[in-house]
Amino acid sequence: MRYNRTELSGNIGFSSIIDEKFKTASLTVRFITELSGKEAAANALGIGVLSSSSAEYKTLAELNEKLSSLYGAALNTFARKRGDVQVLGMTASWITNRYAFDGEDVDSEMLGIIHGCIFEPNAENGVFDADSYMITQKDLLDRIDAELNNKRGYALSRAAEIAFRGEPAEFSCYGTKESASAVTSAEAYSAYRKLLETAQVEICYIAPEENNAVLEMFRESFGTVNRNSGKLTFRSVSPARAETVTESDKFDVLQCKMVMNFKTDSDDLFGVKMLSTIFGETPVSKLFMNVREKLSLCYYCACRFTYSKGSIMVDIGVERENIEKAKAEILRQLDEMKKGNFTDAEMESALLSLDNALTQIGDTPSSYSGWYFERFCDGAIVTPSEQYENYKKVTKERIIQAANSLSLDSVYLMLDKEEQA
Amino acid sequence: MDKELIKSELTGDSCIHVKHKSGLDIYICEMPGFSSVEALFGTKYGSVNTMFRQKGDEKFTTVPEGIAHFLEHKLFENEDCDVFELYAKTGASGNAFTSFDKTAYLFSCSKNYQESLRILLDFVQKPYFTKETVDKEQGIIGQEIKMTNDNPEWRVFFNMLRCMYHSHPVKIDIAGTVESIAQIDADLLYKCYYTFYNLNNMVLSVAGNISADEVLAICDECLKDCDDKGLETVFPDEPDTIVRKEIYEKQPVGTSIFHIGYKCKACTGKEKLRKTMVASVVSSLLSDASSDMYQRLLKAGIINSSFGTEVFTGDGYFTVIFSGESDSPEKVRDAVADEVDRMIKEGICEKDFQRIKKSTYGMLVRELNNVEAVANLMMNSHMEGIGPYDAINVLSGITSADALEFMKNELGRERLVMSVIEGEGE
Repeated sequence: MRYNRTELSGNIGFSSIIDEKFKTASLTVRFITELSGKEAAANALGIGVLSSSSAEYKTLAELNEKLSSLYGAALNTFARKRGDVQVLGMTASWITNRYAFDGEDVDSEMLGIIHGCIFEPNAENGVFDADSYMITQKDLLDRIDAELNNKRGYALSRAAEIAFRGEPAEFSCYGTKESASAVTSAEAYSAYRKLLETAQVEICYIAPEENNAVLEMFRESFGTVNRNSGKLTFRSVSPARAETVTESDKFDVLQCKMVMNFKTDSDDLFGVKMLSTIFGETPVSKLFMNVREKLSLCYYCACRFTYSKGSIMVDIGVERENIEKAKAEILRQLDEMKKGNFTDAEMESALLSLDNALTQIGDTPSSYSGWYFERFCDGAIVTPSEQYENYKKVTKERIIQAANSLSLDSVYLMLDKEEQA
Repeated sequence: MDKELIKSELTGDSCIHVKHKSGLDIYICEMPGFSSVEALFGTKYGSVNTMFRQKGDEKFTTVPEGIAHFLEHKLFENEDCDVFELYAKTGASGNAFTSFDKTAYLFSCSKNYQESLRILLDFVQKPYFTKETVDKEQGIIGQEIKMTNDNPEWRVFFNMLRCMYHSHPVKIDIAGTVESIAQIDADLLYKCYYTFYNLNNMVLSVAGNISADEVLAICDECLKDCDDKGLETVFPDEPDTIVRKEIYEKQPVGTSIFHIGYKCKACTGKEKLRKTMVASVVSSLLSDASSDMYQRLLKAGIINSSFGTEVFTGDGYFTVIFSGESDSPEKVRDAVADEVDRMIKEGICEKDFQRIKKSTYGMLVRELNNVEAVANLMMNSHMEGIGPYDAINVLSGITSADALEFMKNELGRERLVMSVIEGEGE
């Protein structure tokens, strides 16, 4: 594998990862900007419309017909939240020329399509093509509505909204339904132009062979854009409330959900991650072995650590009558961590689990892309094995300190309708 | 023990197959350049296998719904400890799943794969069930059942199957019900285990950063010889007709979701593979994002980008499904049926047909780019009685006449059902 990073002028990073084992090439372009309740929906729409057509392929049908003829090449746009920033972008992947049995130059064709979608969108006089925009807007509105369809995901989103109230991270990366339905095509186009000109841009190309044309295309195309982009802050720790807040919603569900959001002001990324792994990230964690296996209270009880906000969220699907019991056990297990009641074997298994996950990075193009983007956000490009060395240095004392830095900020409950909170 | 080299002439990929002396079929794919290892130890035993007998049994045994899944959960606990604790010492990430027609135990890792493979082969061959451990699992699986029943995607799919199938157990939930799993005890689990977890009914699939010789040496060390007990599974007679045309259910959802499906005639082996490839190309022709129907429905605001298709097949069932979100699922259903009629009448555009074939080929090539996908491909292909690379070869041989024939024979309106989950206020 050969990794190379080039800084283009205008706050644009281009990472190239050449790995001969792949049969596909992949390209991800990320536009990174502050997450704002006011602009989230317009940004999501402005990016979203790019995968529905371009100046060359005027309709979704034409664009998809072309992609399908290139051996089912994929081209999608996305909007995500990472702490207080909104990450919007386009991702494409295709089988390389070697596997094109009709001898097409798939690599060049795809580069042309991606260039067209990003730099020559289907827009005239400051508005996107009406059909393309209408399709994209309906899609976004449906996506916002559909968040409730996934109960576990919905509970986590609501928990984030409560935990980070008053901070950018409280907003959805899609905006609200009201804001998304109010955005006009002209506003979405203007939001897209603003992203093109002011967002931090990170590009990642992963392929089995070098292709200088990719870097040159972006250098040339961004060279025509009047860039004025500042550096963003990727970490803004959320302060913990003095008193835990509990909020709930009632739905006609069979299983209740609980999300407990703990906050930490610790800067010890590796210490807190080790704590989180031992506490609830594996099938031998404190939460899995006790809340699920010993007490049979649930099918899942796990935690996730978000360094950018200093948050550890524990989530569980549980019977209404067992909520308090589960909460008490989760807190008891955290208390055990605070007192240092975990073994060297538990630390060793957490390390092995992290090592396993880190060593597997690079076996899929998306894992490469995600890894190098996250390291860019952390401010230091390190390899997975270098990262592992940082985990190895974590002592028991650091884990105990990390545990003691946690406080329960907020609790979200999704309750069934039959029972009262 | 002969090693059979299986090669794809089209992509250059290859793997080896060994029929081990224990009775187990083993597939190994060395993937240079990859760091991870994916191993699956699977048995042809899923939620549909509720009636079975072995050589010498006079009568068939019928077991409670959800027992294959229950058995999967319980196998993780042996007499001394939990299997996850063993994997914790190697760093592997262990898991398992039960589907309609198979149960598989798996791990993925990047180091110490030899020790993790020993753990996998050992615990799957060493059942340990007691009343206490079975009772404990009732609560955990009960919560899993409730969680899946709150999942509208799961509900809409099973409701569709219940519209299609009169008797075939594909219509029952993989995990069973809270009531059915209450009937499960240690004796029943042992009965099912010794029936289906016979190595002659199982397959081991290992892919990634491995040495085939090392894998085979570990198999020699860990596998216990097994007599083929002549397992026979049966399904109740299933007519070609559907049960009912449509079903609606209310759930707390933000958007209404639908599954529209054709009940097709079931088949097996190479015939099933060929029919699956034809059905896959046909469903894309009818409704992929460049099709007329997709564009019409999208512009009218009837569907969104969640619209998609799937060919869902297994032992005794074969369906073509169109799914997505819509406030007017009836219009989607009518559009699908009308489009089938139109294509049968007007014929298939050869250029579109070839384009969809190319797109399907691209999807199959991508699958070979991924360690986990390759391990799954080898296991699934074996269980279906085909070779790992047969799909690409079969695809290259199908014609638009095959596609037309499939539509005429299998996609009649009388076989069409619709399942809808709508919001509580609607």
